[in-house]
Formats: sequence, structure tokens, C-alpha cells
Amino acid sequence: MSEPLLVLDNVTKNYGAIRALRGISFSIARGEVVALLGDNGAGKSTLVKIIAGGLEPTSGRMLFEGREFLAKTPAEAKAAGIETVYQDLSLCTNVDVVANFFMGREITRKVLGVPVLDERAMESVVAKALANAGTRIPSLRTKVEHLSGGQRQAIELNRFVHWGGKLVLLDEPFAALGVEQTRRGLDMIRQVASQGIGVVIITHIMQQAFQVADRIVVIRQGVVAGDVARNKTSPDAVINMITGETLAGAGPAG
Amino acid sequence: MSPRTRHSLELVLDNLVWFMLVFVLAVFSTFIPNFFQLGIFANIIEASSVLGVMSIGLALVIIAGHMDLSVESVAALSAMAVGIMFCSSGIGLGLQLHPDWLMVPVSLAVALAVGAIIGVINGFLIVRLQMSAFIITLASYIWVRGLVLVVSGGRSAQDLAPAIRWFGIQRLAGLPLTAWIAVGCFVVFSLILAKTPFGRHLVMIGGNETATFRAGIRVNRNLIIAFVLAGAIAGLAGWLLAIRTSGATANLGVGLLFNAFAAVVIGGVSLKGGVGTLPGVYAGVLLLSAINTAINLMALPANFTQVIHGLLVLAAVLLDAFKQTIRQKLA
Repeated sequence: MSEPLLVLDNVTKNYGAIRALRGISFSIARGEVVALLGDNGAGKSTLVKIIAGGLEPTSGRMLFEGREFLAKTPAEAKAAGIETVYQDLSLCTNVDVVANFFMGREITRKVLGVPVLDERAMESVVAKALANAGTRIPSLRTKVEHLSGGQRQAIELNRFVHWGGKLVLLDEPFAALGVEQTRRGLDMIRQVASQGIGVVIITHIMQQAFQVADRIVVIRQGVVAGDVARNKTSPDAVINMITGETLAGAGPAG
Repeated sequence: MSPRTRHSLELVLDNLVWFMLVFVLAVFSTFIPNFFQLGIFANIIEASSVLGVMSIGLALVIIAGHMDLSVESVAALSAMAVGIMFCSSGIGLGLQLHPDWLMVPVSLAVALAVGAIIGVINGFLIVRLQMSAFIITLASYIWVRGLVLVVSGGRSAQDLAPAIRWFGIQRLAGLPLTAWIAVGCFVVFSLILAKTPFGRHLVMIGGNETATFRAGIRVNRNLIIAFVLAGAIAGLAGWLLAIRTSGATANLGVGLLFNAFAAVVIGGVSLKGGVGTLPGVYAGVLLLSAINTAINLMALPANFTQVIHGLLVLAAVLLDAFKQTIRQKLA
């Protein structure tokens, strides 16, 4: 395998006396889909926030494309090429679909030297992106508050597919999606990975992890309890890792 | 419901305050003798210029999901600074600049700078120290007014330099230049809010601050700019106030804050943030001004004004809730 895209080396995070992460080490390659599994409170969301720039680790280091990496803000992570889809949706429901799609990256044109939003250009980009993904939304000028949960999640997913970057973090992205939309979402992830983008997906649903992931990383009580290729393990083995019946780091054969 | 009816219904909801304004003006014109004349309408616009300008700054921070209670005191301090420098009697120092017109940009710069400095203090404390805008700007509301009392010693400055006064006297198309300044501010800031990335970001920050932060928008920087703008705009309102009264008194502008809040809420801005437009706020300002003018014309005791304003704010809030229910049915 080529040089890994992101390497985590003994990353820890303490909240006062509570040790949320006790030393996490694993790596992600370009074009690889890693499913991050673990029980509630295992530290998955904390880990995502550290990579995405919302939280600073207490100790440990990260290498992104071979270079020392620490994002102090989401803006820095984004500039480095890391896109994140959070569990609680990151949409502004008081503005329309187009504004959400381009949040923080608006297309502008200069009028008398002042940057002015180029609504028409943005709308056509969004229309194209949603059409490619097969997402139907009645009007791109509808405020997001008028859309259903599934439509909102579809916007978030399409947003990350469109912007791409080098690494995508997905924190329970399908929580509000129906069966058909979930299937399309999983297809989207494979499609993104085939472009050479690394994908980390957090999920509770074993079936989804096995459908989409190349590798499965299990976190238990703030440490990596298992790191195995999907085709070398089984759902039962993974469940054992999550609940703690298997030794840390051990990948079962079979 | 066909898309067209739905579309037009949304248009009405979005611009409800303008319909209310037209309705109120029509009612007043019909039932109040002598109301329907150009002079009265000009007076409504003229009388609303100080309140209008102040409401712009307040609306910006409220739309961004925060609050600025200090605008009234800031306007008073700016007016007092201009009054002390350029008034010739009372506590005025009677500063003279040559040529005379130089006093205009200098006094304006002083007023804007005073406002901007207090805006920086507000913004810094709220954003960097993560304190509640309500408390911080309430404190500013008090200490800035205190500063006005301190620098004036409770006395007043009169007789503003004629070169500055000129803005309140010179008329263009029946309106004094001060009123045109207010209208101009509304146009400029409406465009900024609706058409520029900065304005778009303010609206989105008001809607979901976490989301905008995660999307890489520099939330803190934008918020500090919003507070500085609110301060500077309040400073401009103070400058207009000094021109209007040809000086400054220690209690100048007391009560304007509540009128500004009323105008902003009536104009359709939600105190929860993220909702509202500046043209709507201007309609709210004009609505209040029209009602004041009507009360004057009918020779009702001026004390009624406050009661009516209060009821109007209540009506605006109820209307807002009502609009929400209709919208939900539309969706």
C-alpha cells in the first residue's frame, strides 16, 4: 500500500479527569473506506472532532500526507482537504438550499470592487450536483426548514461529495435516511473513495459497515480494540471486539 | 395549492410590514383631516431618520443572533462629543476649522470613531470571552450613558457650527439631507446584507452558529465586525441627532433604544436571530413614525404614544408567530 493519507499516533484526549481517548493509533490510505465502530461513549465522535479541527488532542500526533498535522479550527482542516459530515446536521435552516450548499465558499463576482454573491452561478452548480446524485428537491430556493429530515441529510451528503477534498469524515450520516436513500448514500461513499479520497465512516449499523468498508476499526474505552480488513472478519467477531470479549488488536482469522 | 398562489402568499408574508404600512397610511389619510399631504409624508420620513439609522445597527446584530442594548447611549456619547467640539455655547468649545466645510468630515469621523470603539469593546468581550451579549451591552448601555454625564457635567452644548447644521437645513426634493443619509444607509446596508458574502454569513451565523463554524466561516471575526458596525452606525445616529437638536444634552436620545427594538421587531426581525431584512426594518421605522405623526395631528396627548408603541410591538410578535404557523402549512 502507498504512503498512508492520515496517520494517528497515540492520540489522547482528557476532559478533566475523564480520559475519553487513551491513545488511538491507526491509519487511512487514499481511496480507502474505514468504518469506525464502537459502543456509545467509546470516543468515536471525540476522535472525529479532533481530526476535523473542532477539538485539540491532549497529546499524540497526526500525520496528514506525511506531514505533521493539527487543525485548530474546522477552517484549517477544510483548507487541508478534510471534509466532515456531523451527526447533528450542520445546516442553516433559515436560508435556502443553495446558500447551505455553498456555506463559506460562496461564488462571487466583483461589482465596483465589492464581492457580490453570484446566485445564478451557484444555483446551476447545485442543480447539477443534486441531479447527478439523483436527489430530488422541489425548489433550490426553498428554505431548509421546510425540507424533510431525509432531504436535509441528502443535501449534506451531496455537499461533501461535491467538495470532495482528500479525506471525508462521516459521523452517522444515515441516521435520518430511508432504505433507498441509504443505499444511494453508500453508493456515494464508494464513488467518492474510487476517486482516491479517504473515507472514515462512523456507524452503529454493522450491516452498513460490512457493505461499504474496506477496513473496520473498533474503538473500545478510548483505545483501538480491533483493526481488521473487512474480508478477514465477520459481524460476530466485530461485535465481540465492540463488547470486549476479544483482546485488543487481535483480528480473528476467518 | 398551486405554486403560483403559494409563491404570492409567501411574497405577502415576507413583506407583511410594508402592507401594514400602506394600510395604516391609507386609514390615516381617510380618517384624519389634513393627513394626506406631501408635507406630512415628508415629515414622517424626516422624523424617522435618527431612529432609522440606529435600527440598522441593532438589526444587524440581532439578525446575527446577538443583541446590542448600547446603541442609544453610544449615539448620545457621539452626539455629545460632536457637541462639545463644535458647539459655540453651553459646554461647547466652539472649535473652528478652516475652511468651514472641514468640520463636516471631522465631526462625522469623531462620531463614527466613538461608536466604533465602543463596538470593538462590546464585540471583543462577547466573542472572545464568550459572554452574553445581553449582559455586556446592558453594561455598556449604563456606563456609556454615565460617560455622557461625566464629560458633560450634566450640562448641555448648544449652537452647533452652521457648516454642520447645513445638513439638517438644506433640502433635496423636499427632504433634508439628514433624511437622505438615513435612506442611503438603508439602501447600502440592505444590499450588504442581502447580496454580499459578509451579509449572507451574518444571516447564517444567526441561524446556526455551530454549522457556520464547522463550515469554516470565521464566525468570531464576522461577529466583531457586526458589533463595530452597530457601534459606528449608532455613532452616525448620534451625529444626526446633534444636527437635529443643534447640540447635545446629557439625556439626549433617552428611550430611543426601545423604539429601535420596536421598529426592528415590527419590521419582521426575529429576536432568535437569522430572520429578517433591512427594508422590512425601514418599514417598521416608518410605521412608528407615521403613528407618532397621526397622534400629533389628532392633538392626542403625547403620552399615548408609548402605550401605542407597546401594543404595536406585542402585535408584531403575535403576528410573527401567526406567520410561522401559516408558513408551516405552506411547506
